[in-house]
Amino acid sequence: MDTIIFILTGTFATATPLLLAALGELVAEKSGIINLSIEGMMALSAAMGFAIVYTTGSHLLAFAVAAGLAMLLSAVFATLVMFFSANQVASGLAVGILGLGLSALLGRDYESLTLQAPSALSVPILSDIPILGSILFQQDIVVYMTITAGFGLMWIIQHSRVGLILRIVGENPHIAHNLGFNVLQVRFLAILFGGFMAGIAGAYASTILTPIWSQGMILGRGWIALALVVFGTWRVLRVMIGAYLFGALLLADLAVQTLNLGIPSQIMTSMPYAMTIVVLAIISRDTLRIRLNAPVSLGQNYRPNH
Amino acid sequence: MKKKNLSVLATMICLAAPTFADNTLNIGFIVPNPIGEVGWDHELDRGRQMMEAHFGDNISVTAVDSVGEGPDATRMMNRMVAQGADMIFLGSFGHMNDGIALAKRNKDLAVIHAGGYLTGERFATYAPRHYQASYLCGMAAGYVAENAKLGIIAAFPLPEVIGMMNAYVLGAQSVNSAIDNVQVVWLNSWFDPARNRSAAEALISGGIDVLYSLFPGTPAAISTAEENGVYAVATLSNNSKFAPTKHLCAGQTHFGAIYIDYVNAMMNGNFTSGDTFAGIAEGAMEVAGLSLDLTDEQRIAIITKQDEMRAGTFDPFTGLITDNTGAEAVPEGVSLDISGIKSMNFLVQGLDTTLPN
Repeated sequence: MDTIIFILTGTFATATPLLLAALGELVAEKSGIINLSIEGMMALSAAMGFAIVYTTGSHLLAFAVAAGLAMLLSAVFATLVMFFSANQVASGLAVGILGLGLSALLGRDYESLTLQAPSALSVPILSDIPILGSILFQQDIVVYMTITAGFGLMWIIQHSRVGLILRIVGENPHIAHNLGFNVLQVRFLAILFGGFMAGIAGAYASTILTPIWSQGMILGRGWIALALVVFGTWRVLRVMIGAYLFGALLLADLAVQTLNLGIPSQIMTSMPYAMTIVVLAIISRDTLRIRLNAPVSLGQNYRPNH
Repeated sequence: MKKKNLSVLATMICLAAPTFADNTLNIGFIVPNPIGEVGWDHELDRGRQMMEAHFGDNISVTAVDSVGEGPDATRMMNRMVAQGADMIFLGSFGHMNDGIALAKRNKDLAVIHAGGYLTGERFATYAPRHYQASYLCGMAAGYVAENAKLGIIAAFPLPEVIGMMNAYVLGAQSVNSAIDNVQVVWLNSWFDPARNRSAAEALISGGIDVLYSLFPGTPAAISTAEENGVYAVATLSNNSKFAPTKHLCAGQTHFGAIYIDYVNAMMNGNFTSGDTFAGIAEGAMEVAGLSLDLTDEQRIAIITKQDEMRAGTFDPFTGLITDNTGAEAVPEGVSLDISGIKSMNFLVQGLDTTLPN
């Protein structure tokens, strides 16, 4: 029972950086742009966020600057793919490597330093509910904001005019253009939003989830966020479920090991990845479902004809 | 310091042919990761500083960090040789094959590699006897474990790690017979701060008294223990600054002692190869950062045990040792030899985990 409570309590925080970055990428991909630089953006903002909290103690400032820096990096990517019509995959990888390199440079003087983690919020009254209280109502503020952002995005993409424009641009930029929408502007903003979310994700990872800076600490979590978007077949709710499932499995690996059920640890450690592949395979069986949500113009550059 | 070294290197590259005095031993020193406040790379760098302080102007060291295994490392090694290095120290397990090839190609070069399993002509390897300090820290853990509950976070199930884990539990049991069901979480990674922290939280939520962070790559587990008011035991470096109130004990490595021996051998012209397994007796290992919560008697008992290891009158792996299936692992009165320690694949009684087959 303690093990289950431990897993459920930690799941939200563990999944938060993955989910934040995945939500940002989802919006970019919905506009037809695949941005492979999430890992680099997260690493750079993790280094920046850590450096700011370490020197000033302000998480708010750290999140703002880290998000701004990641947006700057995503703007570089946007410029490459939209104004120079560069290949999206190659540009994303290149900008991602740039981000990783800059993070190493920026974090050099902070290597393996630690911070005081801010304490979690306790929602009054509700947090006193046995079991559920500690799981749901004693998390840090970013966890709640991420869940809110998830449901907000779900509504925006499905039901709002902005979401409709985003989807049209991603489905067919030519039609969107003929309808009078500025495709490049929509895509640029979508990419910037992706950068913003990756920036928040990175700063959260290095200042709240694991209040430590060490070069390379993002460790492929940006790539997992990218996989989650596909795993969730470009649907916000499924991406959220996927992120929390993955987070729970990551913790289950560690928590189950403490019980020593006789399962070799290597098998437990590979569980989150194996399970994700299984779920992905099951979802992929229904190709119609994927085609319904996958942006048709994903990965294709668009140049308006004047 | 590291920046200075990088700029020294940059200058050397620009000049292409640095002028060294004939009687100076030129040493290249490669560290795989950025140098932090504690841990593997920090200790390698501290070892280099100790070596430089010892030999002064008789050696000239070119040090670089953040050069992990791969083509960058190969390039760096070749560059150092081209610049006239007489000796190269390699800090990553992954530098091993490159290092052997380098020693084969350059007949006057000595290569000293950290923590590998191969030796060759003019290619030496070294490892500290971490398990000796593990035993002593285990004693400290046994003293403070009121509920007799210990937790260990470990990197990979390798013989070196298993040996440290075993010694730790034997040390704890030697002063606290109630120690049993020691929980272990394997990270299956040398480096992952987030998982390291989660693993610490998983063990702490199970109510452990002491957390042993065994090669975690980062101090994340140590600071998590401090936040939760649980004693922490660290590997490689004294981690007191990450756990000011809850740092119980650390196995402090002194690579410098090993380096000085190799440089001396090189200077005397009798370096051929080597497989150094140095511990407390050689000055390569000691306990550090013992908690003030330990009583004077307890601290004295630990230091006395350390003195016995230094004098060679005590060895943690002396039988009778029973493994966790109840079988006899080391017979009564027998001490494991070096190959037995380096290939250890059994868990002592009291360790509650599963090794892969």
